[in-house]
Amino acid sequence: MPRPGRGGGTFRSSQRSRNSTAWVLMAPALALLLIMTIVPAVYLLWASLRNKTLLGLTDRFVGLQNYRDVLSNPDQLHGFARTGFFVLAAVTLELLLGLLLAVPLAAQSRSNNIAATLLLLPFAVTPVVSALMFKELLNPATGWIDYYMGQIGLPAHVEWLSNPTTAWVAIIGLDVWQWTPFVALILMAGLQSLPHEPREAAAIDGANAWQTFRHVSLPQLGPFIAIALVLRTIQAFKTFDAFALLTNGGPGKSTEIVNLQIYRVALQSFRIGAASATAIVFLILLSLLVPLLLRFAGRNADPEEA
Amino acid sequence: MTTVSTSPATRTKTAHGSAPKSRRRAGVVIGRLGLWAWLLATMIPLVFMLITSVKPEGIARSLPPKWLFTPTFDNYRHVLAGGDGLSQGFNDLLLHSAIVTAGSTLLTIVVAVPASYALAMRTFRQRKFLSSWILSTYMFPPIVAVIPIFIYAGKLDLIDRYPVLIVPYAAFNLPIAVWTLRAAVLQIPYEIQESAMVDGASQFTILRRIIWPLLIPSVATAAILSAILSWNEFLFALSLTRSEVKTAPVGVQEFTGMFGTQWGALTAAATVIVAPIVVMTLVLRRRIVSGLTLGAVK
Repeated sequence: MPRPGRGGGTFRSSQRSRNSTAWVLMAPALALLLIMTIVPAVYLLWASLRNKTLLGLTDRFVGLQNYRDVLSNPDQLHGFARTGFFVLAAVTLELLLGLLLAVPLAAQSRSNNIAATLLLLPFAVTPVVSALMFKELLNPATGWIDYYMGQIGLPAHVEWLSNPTTAWVAIIGLDVWQWTPFVALILMAGLQSLPHEPREAAAIDGANAWQTFRHVSLPQLGPFIAIALVLRTIQAFKTFDAFALLTNGGPGKSTEIVNLQIYRVALQSFRIGAASATAIVFLILLSLLVPLLLRFAGRNADPEEA
Repeated sequence: MTTVSTSPATRTKTAHGSAPKSRRRAGVVIGRLGLWAWLLATMIPLVFMLITSVKPEGIARSLPPKWLFTPTFDNYRHVLAGGDGLSQGFNDLLLHSAIVTAGSTLLTIVVAVPASYALAMRTFRQRKFLSSWILSTYMFPPIVAVIPIFIYAGKLDLIDRYPVLIVPYAAFNLPIAVWTLRAAVLQIPYEIQESAMVDGASQFTILRRIIWPLLIPSVATAAILSAILSWNEFLFALSLTRSEVKTAPVGVQEFTGMFGTQWGALTAAATVIVAPIVVMTLVLRRRIVSGLTLGAVK
């Protein structure tokens, strides 16, 4: 924001020197991010054009062959589709449940203080640990979930992780368990920050609780929903631990998402060229999607001082 | 918000007298019940973990689950000290995790504080572009970076050494740290900096003497978040370490082997990993939510 009453030659030269100070201050952060994001991306681009393997048997320029393989391999394409399905299902459920939990949580009271604290617990659990605990709880022979489901008359001895549908239920359930608290707390903070007046005005005009919520609070909550949506979508695309440890892509390949495919092709079969092509396709898809999300969020978020 | 009071004006307007009021009450009660049902249900995995970790080995897996028993800390002793079928004591892995966490958190902060100050400088013309670029690196999936890092770490003989985890963790934590800190710098009234400038202070003096002290609470937020993310990280630790710097999350999944899972050892190790973060998260709840939303939620 230009400040009035400034200008003139001395200011301009001091501004230039301050600009270079800023670059100096930025340098370490930029270097770190370049090394860990741009350099890997360039490497992948280069490797994706070669049939490189880690065992060093082949390392030859093959043009776009790896990309042709990725795009014509139904397994790979299914991997992308599964990733999209997972992100869509998990984030949608988390937003809906988060909103349902945020409404009763937003009222200020001592019991809600305890509730908010308890709510955050799953979020604090190391993802590796929560995946392992879910796996043991779902064990059809010794798990608690199966035993207590049988006790209350629900179908017992469900082979949760041996059937594609129940495996998806388990893995989306795990993600919802871990991340709904995060969404709920963002929306709770949002609800608590809303001004009272519009709701009071709506009540005076005879709106019922649902109408007030639907037409007054929900639109005002827009920026917070947008933040939760964007952050959760980005995080969900990065999910690895839960899939690696709970289902390991199984049964068969029914929960094998792109992250798991890249890991397996690169670090278990050591086909670097092939994995790089998949990774580049994934990066391109994400870099098309994320700006769209950010623009959507930006439209809903407060104009931000930058 | 559902506790909006029904004013006399409402009552005269609605045909059913006080019916909306009682319906609103019912809504509040159902909301509360739903909230507490969710809370209780989500505690199951944690209760399972905690209870099983102090069960004697003989009854750990018995069904129906035993709820009354004499608690024992044998599992913790066994897991922490190692030996007896364990390649490494969990003590070692926790130490590796702690060193990696401390190192990457320190690196994140040292790099993020000057950067966020620069990004908040009004005279810095590229600040908007660079802020969005740094934020956009948050979407960069670690699985994509792990391939080149794996290869270069192999060439540079860095596999299974501390820097190979510390540097990438710091980079991946940087967008969150920079955005949290930048939001905090923007909150500091510009007039304070301006009067220091009038007094002839250099940018570095302003950063060190004026901005830094005011920034300490936000630095704490950024540090806690970096620490949690580094402590929990799995993919890089799995791919880039063997035994010298193997971290606790990689170690804990080895208790679920082909030969059946030792529940006692698994749950004790899991509890030890989770405990420090749970405590930190609960104590610093508000800071963590504000940090994870990149300063958007106060």
